[in-house]
Amino acid sequence: MAVTVAPNAPAVTAKGSRRKRGGMAIAERRAGLLFVTPYLLYFLILQLAALAFAIWVSFHHYDLLALDNPWVGLRNYARLTVNQDFLIAMRNTTEYAVVVVILQTVFALLLAVLLDSKIKGRNFFRSTWYTPSIASSVVISMVFLYVYHPTGLLNSILGLVGIHTSEAYLESTTWALPALMFLAIWTTAPTFMLMFLAALQDIPKEVYEAAAVDGASGVRKLFSITIPLLRPIIFLVVSLGIIGCFQVFDQMFIMTSGGPLKATLSVALLIYDNLFHDVGTVGVACAEAIVLGLVIFALTLISRRVIDTKIEY
Amino acid sequence: MRSMRLGVVLAAVGSVLLAACGGGSTSSGASNAADVTATLRAANWGGNPTENALVKKYEADFMTAYPKIKITQEEIPTNFEDKIKTEMSANNEPDAMYVSTALMNFAAPAGRLLDLTPLMSKWGVSADEYIPTLMTPWQLNGKQLALPKDFGDLVLFYNKSMFSAAGLSTPTSWDDIKADAKKLTTGTVKGLSLPADAARFDAFLLGFGGNVLSSDKTKAVLNSQQAQDALSYYSSFQLQDKSSALPDTLGATWPGDAFGKQKAAMVIEGGWLIPYMHDTYPTVQYGSIKLPKFPVKQSSLLFTNGWGCSAKTKNPDACMIFVKYMTGKVVQQQVLQSGFALPSRKDLGSDPAITANPDVKNLFDSATFATAWTFGPHESKINDAQNAALQSVLLGKSDVKTALDKAEADATAALSGG
Repeated sequence: MAVTVAPNAPAVTAKGSRRKRGGMAIAERRAGLLFVTPYLLYFLILQLAALAFAIWVSFHHYDLLALDNPWVGLRNYARLTVNQDFLIAMRNTTEYAVVVVILQTVFALLLAVLLDSKIKGRNFFRSTWYTPSIASSVVISMVFLYVYHPTGLLNSILGLVGIHTSEAYLESTTWALPALMFLAIWTTAPTFMLMFLAALQDIPKEVYEAAAVDGASGVRKLFSITIPLLRPIIFLVVSLGIIGCFQVFDQMFIMTSGGPLKATLSVALLIYDNLFHDVGTVGVACAEAIVLGLVIFALTLISRRVIDTKIEY
Repeated sequence: MRSMRLGVVLAAVGSVLLAACGGGSTSSGASNAADVTATLRAANWGGNPTENALVKKYEADFMTAYPKIKITQEEIPTNFEDKIKTEMSANNEPDAMYVSTALMNFAAPAGRLLDLTPLMSKWGVSADEYIPTLMTPWQLNGKQLALPKDFGDLVLFYNKSMFSAAGLSTPTSWDDIKADAKKLTTGTVKGLSLPADAARFDAFLLGFGGNVLSSDKTKAVLNSQQAQDALSYYSSFQLQDKSSALPDTLGATWPGDAFGKQKAAMVIEGGWLIPYMHDTYPTVQYGSIKLPKFPVKQSSLLFTNGWGCSAKTKNPDACMIFVKYMTGKVVQQQVLQSGFALPSRKDLGSDPAITANPDVKNLFDSATFATAWTFGPHESKINDAQNAALQSVLLGKSDVKTALDKAEADATAALSGG
């Protein structure tokens, strides 16, 4: 992350005592290896091996309880292109990701800029605005079930301002996905706000002072200094956003089960359904997961190209 | 929906031959139930705290009756089948478990449930003790893979005060229901609340002579003429007569909720409505009738759960004795009295808890013509397809024929593993 500044070891010391440090280095390397071992094991067994297994499974007609799981080559992948559920899930997830990533990034940046200025009680706002990010998404989903209920909080508040409706947001093909988008933005924006805030404080005051001398306005400073200098962190926020959004699962699982009429079916939820709620579709689920992984990987690369370019002053 | 509950027996113990085998975990040599020694892991759906506590109690009673068999309760509060499926794939499943139709669908074809047939005769359990329509869901290739522990089915509940206020008598036919629903509809109150739920609609589908799957279960037959007639009729209450509305339109979470709030004068629900009304809306006066005969036949849907054993259990005898107890008369009588579910046993049909309560009697008697609501390994996607058709018709997004054509195509794709 852009915020961390790694102190460089003074080169002189290293040069001066090369022989002695050679012996040390082995011991250090061993110690280092020892320290990484727990994570390395976790990574190799639970992530890398699992990933390799998933790729292997995606080429089979696979069932968790079957004794014989025949090789089917690329059939699972080929079928995805005509699988209505997968196409719907991809479309929903993409729509969700585009809206959520853009809005939460903008929102987080605005909040951060606001909190970076010297407004009164900013410590209070810093803590309260961050609160939604502390609760688990499961808990928040449960709470929002009541917020979106026909006789729930949202409709009650709308009623107070004269809009009387008994809209069941999560039962509506129009509102269900936007309702989940709003929930996601509300929950994750504060986390990213914190990252922006840290990065903002890293921007040298001199740059702003020089701009002020040149007569730049506040808005001009935001677009010509703040945002360009924040590029690396914007890239980080957008990437994390894309990854998180394309993997969205909890809210759909708890609040809508993908309904109504598959309006909130996400790819991750579809993968879960294929894993557990059908027979012989584990291979399909793995193929879907691999494709989803590749999509996320590609989008991250693209966003790096677009956002994280070097800027010269 | 999932009405997992309990049940069972303490029938007399088998023969009095000397047991050949004492301690240890193998019980194959014992021929007297009291001498069978084992430790069993028994998994139940624990999503309902009251029900879970009852299971715990029955298991404690069982251990008192059979001190040599120790039961370790494994309660799975949610996603019961997913957990068991994962455990089975890791060869680490419990010895005894609730068997839902969903679990049966994936575990039975894979040979992961113990065939109880030989054990039933060994330990004195007769298939005749149970209601026949409740035994079939647990059968595959002539094997009995679980025993029913209880069931729920559908009847029509009606609001007595709303009926008498409108000067209506108890309906006895669908024509009555249709006419009454119109008369009872005023302002925000509807005569009926029919949800976009295949677990209600399929009673109509069957009653109109249609079906979800072909008899060999290899293809979907959801766009048959009968199915179209059934869905046209089901949706006519809401779309033409305006005498029915979806529960959430009525500000309710499910039809029973709308019924309790007196926003709907009639609903088609099961026995779970009775304790719900007692606890949540105790002042509402209601009655019930069996679902009247549809154009082709009388029908209702059965939702049942059983107890079964893992095919890999090291203690099949002990497991059978446990299943026998949990689906036997002693436990099922308590289930009945707890108001939780209906007993799966014929011999409890004359129990005062049933005969003295007309609603419970309607539910119990409907089992004779009801059909178990289960569609095999691809059930989840088949039901998605059905529910999508119901939703799109009831939300006015599609006509009956188009919706059912799509449902049939989707269900057929699911059957072919797509």
